[in-house]
Amino acid sequence: MDTAEIRELLKQVYDPELGVNIVDLGLVYEIHNDDGDVCIRMTLTTPGCPMHDTIAGGAERLLQNQPGIRSVKVDVVWDPPWSPDKMSEEAKERLGFR
Amino acid sequence: MFRLPFLFIATGLACFALLDVTTLAQAAGWIVHPPRSPAGWFHVHLLVLGWATMIAMGAVYQLLHVVLQKEVFSRTLGYVNYAVFTVGTAGLLAGFAAVQTRWIAAFAILAWIGIVLFAINIALTLIRAAQWNPITFSTASAVFYLFLTGLIGLAMGLNFAFHWWPTWHERLFYTHIWLGTLGWFGLLITGFSYKMLPMFYLAHGVSNRTAYVVTILWNAAVLAGAAAFLTAAPFPAVGAAVGLFTLAVYSYNLHTTQIRKAHHKKSPGAGVLAAVYSTRALAVTSTIAFAAILFAPARAADERAVVIFAWAYLWGWVALTILGYLSKIVPFLWWTHKYGPRVGKGTIPTMADLLEDRYVAYVLTAVAASLLLLIIGLGLGSDVWIIWSGAALSLFSLAYVCLIARVFTR
Repeated sequence: MDTAEIRELLKQVYDPELGVNIVDLGLVYEIHNDDGDVCIRMTLTTPGCPMHDTIAGGAERLLQNQPGIRSVKVDVVWDPPWSPDKMSEEAKERLGFR
Repeated sequence: MFRLPFLFIATGLACFALLDVTTLAQAAGWIVHPPRSPAGWFHVHLLVLGWATMIAMGAVYQLLHVVLQKEVFSRTLGYVNYAVFTVGTAGLLAGFAAVQTRWIAAFAILAWIGIVLFAINIALTLIRAAQWNPITFSTASAVFYLFLTGLIGLAMGLNFAFHWWPTWHERLFYTHIWLGTLGWFGLLITGFSYKMLPMFYLAHGVSNRTAYVVTILWNAAVLAGAAAFLTAAPFPAVGAAVGLFTLAVYSYNLHTTQIRKAHHKKSPGAGVLAAVYSTRALAVTSTIAFAAILFAPARAADERAVVIFAWAYLWGWVALTILGYLSKIVPFLWWTHKYGPRVGKGTIPTMADLLEDRYVAYVLTAVAASLLLLIIGLGLGSDVWIIWSGAALSLFSLAYVCLIARVFTR
């Protein structure tokens, strides 16, 4: 499974308050797949987000069940901080911002 | 963290439903009668302790560990806090209902011990986290004022039972109300709003500067008012405190506007909008109160005017804000408990699916409209108007409790 496929899979994880997936929200910074050992570097819309454990844990659970993936590590980072310009056009439209 | 906030919030909702049912059962009779009566004390304490403080304590336990990204100091202490505070409040309410001064004194002590346990738990959580910003400063101040409110309420309870300080009763009474309403509820709501409003508006890059100004002004107003009431200072001293409070409310409205301008989400939801609109209404209320103190001090100090301002503040702002935020807090609490562990394992509902936003909008609009009619009725001194609008307010509030409680069935 390459990183583009993993990124596509992560679109199944939603921010339950915003109703937008974490990829379109621009929360996923980096994806590394080292022969089945996957490492995700991601952020949240705000430090102290109530969905911290739910979203990061959801991404981990989703990937752990995929064939060809041996281990998953999700690092939630605050640098660089998330900003609205990281959202896709679809996300902006969904939130009524565009 | 689910059970502890859930216990507080479920008990708070039950108390709110009880308040609405008892008000409906007596055709809003207690609102018509003078507030300083056993029936008035029963209903006011059911509102502020049984409902608002119960919900507020649950919200603090739920949101503080989110804000700090650290566990509360002790969950066990939290459960003891819940048990002691609930029994104390129930006994205090029974004391008011049965007009038993010794019950009032005994259970006021128990309720206050519950408050002290809460204050210790939150203070130790904040000290250990050592993250000082407008949210944590406001929460710490609010909890401190809750402690003082309880202490002064306790002194009043003992005074009722044993008549130790008869000349201090009025001073304690007004200080108790001032610290509880402006200090505890005011600073907790503003403090949590610094977190909740940007979150639900998806506002980004808003400076904390105005929030610091609000925190300082609000604290200054609370302390100035408490000092004025405790020392039985001349009425202009109370006016100065109300003036400071009005400035704090204007600053808070400015900060709310700054958050709204930085939004990246079209609508934060009907409940959050209700909280914002009630904040605008609070600016009008505080301006009228301050103008009345300046230009018609005798009328401003009249019991009817004080009752109207109390309704406008407690129901128009505190209660409407709590009701509005409940439309976010309860679905979050339930969703995280029930669906959080299932994220990434298949299709699950979003929070919006748990509570229909348009119903929140309809019912809260009905609540606000009936409250406005009630305040007009209180101004006119029309018993019929008060009874009908008071009954409508209770009916719509009960409908709202049912709407929120339905989330737990989704």
